[in-house]
Amino acid sequence: MTKTSPALGEPLMQIRNLDKSFGGVKAVQDVSMDLRAGIVTTLVGPNGAGKTTFFNLITGNLARDSGQVTWLGQDTAGLKPYRLARAGVGRTYQDLRLFDGMSVWENVLNATEHGAFPMPISRAHRRGRRERMEHVLERTGLIDKRHTRAIDLAYAERKFLSMARIMATEAQLWLLDEPASGLDPNSYERFLTILREDVAGGVTVCIIEHNLDIVVGISDRIAFLDRGKLLADGDPKTVLNDPELARIYFGDRA
Amino acid sequence: MEAYIYNLVNLIAIYAILAVTLNFIMGYAGIYSLAHAVFFGLGAYVAAWVALHVHPSIFVTLPAAMASAAALSLLLALPALRVRGEYFVAASLGLQVLAVTVFSEWKSFTGGIGGVLAIPPADVFGVEVFKPQHFAIVSIIALIVVIGLINALVHSSFGRNLRAIRDSESAAASFGKNVPMIKTLSVVISAALAAIAGALYASYMSFINVESFTLDTSVLVMAMVIIGGTGTVAGPIVGAALLMLLPSAISWIDFLPQTEVGALQQIIYGLGMTLLMIFRPGGIVGRRAAV
Amino acid sequence: MLAIQLAITGLQTGALYALTAVGFSLIFGSTRIFHFAHGATFVIAAYLFYWVYGTGWGLVPGVLAATLGAVLFGLVLDRLVYVPIQRHEGSFFTVFVASFGVGIAVQNVIGMIFGRGFTSVSTPLSRSAEIIPGVYVSPLAWIAMLCTALLLGALHFFLRRTHTGTALRALADDPELVRTFGLNPRRIAATAFVVGSALVVPAAIITSATTGLNPTIGHHVMLISLAATIVGGIGSISGTMLAGLLLGLAESLALLVVDSQWTEAVTFAILFAFIIIRPSGLLGRIAAH
Repeated sequence: MTKTSPALGEPLMQIRNLDKSFGGVKAVQDVSMDLRAGIVTTLVGPNGAGKTTFFNLITGNLARDSGQVTWLGQDTAGLKPYRLARAGVGRTYQDLRLFDGMSVWENVLNATEHGAFPMPISRAHRRGRRERMEHVLERTGLIDKRHTRAIDLAYAERKFLSMARIMATEAQLWLLDEPASGLDPNSYERFLTILREDVAGGVTVCIIEHNLDIVVGISDRIAFLDRGKLLADGDPKTVLNDPELARIYFGDRA
Repeated sequence: MEAYIYNLVNLIAIYAILAVTLNFIMGYAGIYSLAHAVFFGLGAYVAAWVALHVHPSIFVTLPAAMASAAALSLLLALPALRVRGEYFVAASLGLQVLAVTVFSEWKSFTGGIGGVLAIPPADVFGVEVFKPQHFAIVSIIALIVVIGLINALVHSSFGRNLRAIRDSESAAASFGKNVPMIKTLSVVISAALAAIAGALYASYMSFINVESFTLDTSVLVMAMVIIGGTGTVAGPIVGAALLMLLPSAISWIDFLPQTEVGALQQIIYGLGMTLLMIFRPGGIVGRRAAV
Repeated sequence: MLAIQLAITGLQTGALYALTAVGFSLIFGSTRIFHFAHGATFVIAAYLFYWVYGTGWGLVPGVLAATLGAVLFGLVLDRLVYVPIQRHEGSFFTVFVASFGVGIAVQNVIGMIFGRGFTSVSTPLSRSAEIIPGVYVSPLAWIAMLCTALLLGALHFFLRRTHTGTALRALADDPELVRTFGLNPRRIAATAFVVGSALVVPAAIITSATTGLNPTIGHHVMLISLAATIVGGIGSISGTMLAGLLLGLAESLALLVVDSQWTEAVTFAILFAFIIIRPSGLLGRIAAH
């Protein structure tokens, strides 16, 4: 893998004054944030806080009303999602969006292929790719299921396939939408291991997560969103110990 | 009797080419077109014109037919595939209706309602092929080549991209796929290959007119794909054979007037499509519920 | 004079297109069911009227039979075809193919019963009168416009002012929301089929008494309905209505420059222009992507 690793802490994606409303309802308002190299940022906040909308806005899946997003110093305005993906921004979806009719292997293979046209590739390249994919499938525990269709996988396996797809790409930034929700403790440990290894390997992660244990365990930084507003952005302990934020987060349960 | 069977073989092979090429976009890219007969027809008219005015060799007529169909499909697909699936259904239906008018009105090229007569037989390496049993070799080879090409495509990275788009467009885009470009390309390939069927049809029948290229034909081909099994290799071929044999089967019903055979055939495959969608969306060959 | 004549004919055609297309748009917009057999509903209503009225049973029984036939067909299709399909998966295209199959079957059954040629009903109202020198208008033209205005007005009231109507509008965005109204989404969807199917009846009857019918007219009806839905903007009833009028007028006025066999080309040109330039349609709210 030839990743041009920017220095730790250097901003990869800079988000300034992001705004989006749906028919009068403000889904995201005036959010500014830097996603820095090698840093794990976790987005937390109650349901409907605008976390997924935020992902959709910075990947270009949704058009923003106003605000600016730069990637590696370049303005991303008007950039189609597939362009940004090729430039190194990868994402997963909360509802996974696997390629259900394809096998596990094809799902992962497809994630490594960008071009519209079939290109001849060298034997060495092909072997390198196969080894990389096998490694990814080993780590996600899917190697024995490589010929199974995605739709026939169990819940946890589907979540890992979603991870395997992004692991097989050369994306520098991973936007993960609730990748660990609903995982059993073992799977969850596996997930944490994967994440730690890849972060150590130079990947930058921004993750949406509800489970506060996960959040504390892996985050370098927490961004707290509520009703589209960024209420806090800082180191995990400070943010989570803020009684006001706790009230908002647990408010409906207390 | 022998000539009758060979004739059926030729027609099944030609329609199977249409079904296989339509299945390429329906089954693998999730694009539903009601204009497949337009590319069939354009291929036939262009091949007829080239055979009459330039040279009857299939190595001249086929490329000309394919190129024109590809160009027309590009005009349809470029705008209509940037937007949601419903738009393509509507635009292709519109193109089909418009094409029938053009085929009936553009007399200098299509001969109007009267059609094009005395199209020279196919010329393969200087040999004129006009007997049904000889033509069957040509049409079956063409079918095998088309199936081979499409299978190779489906199992290439291009085919994986298509299937990925069918399963989730947004996820495909998140993995760097230029979705409108890939879809457009698939429509162009499908149309160009459908034109092969048109060219073969023109030289085999030696007479063509607009009747063969109406919405009914587009619907028939779509029914072949769906009834056989969308997104499978064997499905469209099984569907083509089945629906081409249907009229002969219906003719065995004594009390049915000959004029009603076509109508009964359409009723059967219309209801067949509906029932399959309710009980077995994968079609006859499909292994399970379509995804 | 010709231009005025064509404009009036265009308004008449456009009014009927608007009614038919709004029927489709209402069903598609609220249930997301791509009801391609809407054209078949039109054919059934038209031929039932043709049969009952033509047999000499009179106007009112004819209209009643057409309405009953259309509504029943819509309801039965919803119950026997769409509900089962949506229960197991209900992708857009599965529904489309099933609906399409029914449309083909209906077209051919009608063709076998009534013949495949052109037929029309002559009523006392079909005869044209000269309203200004050189411009002939039949009373049916005024009836078409009046019917459209009344029915679309009533539809507007129903959608905006009644409980069921509001639920119908909410159905497309969020079926769960309908439950919070205390209503059953399936019942609301069935209502959409009843109303949408009933809306084609005046168009079917007036068409049978003016330009005439043949069993394949369903395809034309579908092309118009789809084109009007897209040109108007998917999800917008008023947009579909405007687009229907526009398409009717354009088809008619096009006769100033082209022969009548090209009228469908005009529809296609408008549809294509919108797909290229403004895919969200005249009044579309939903993004086209």
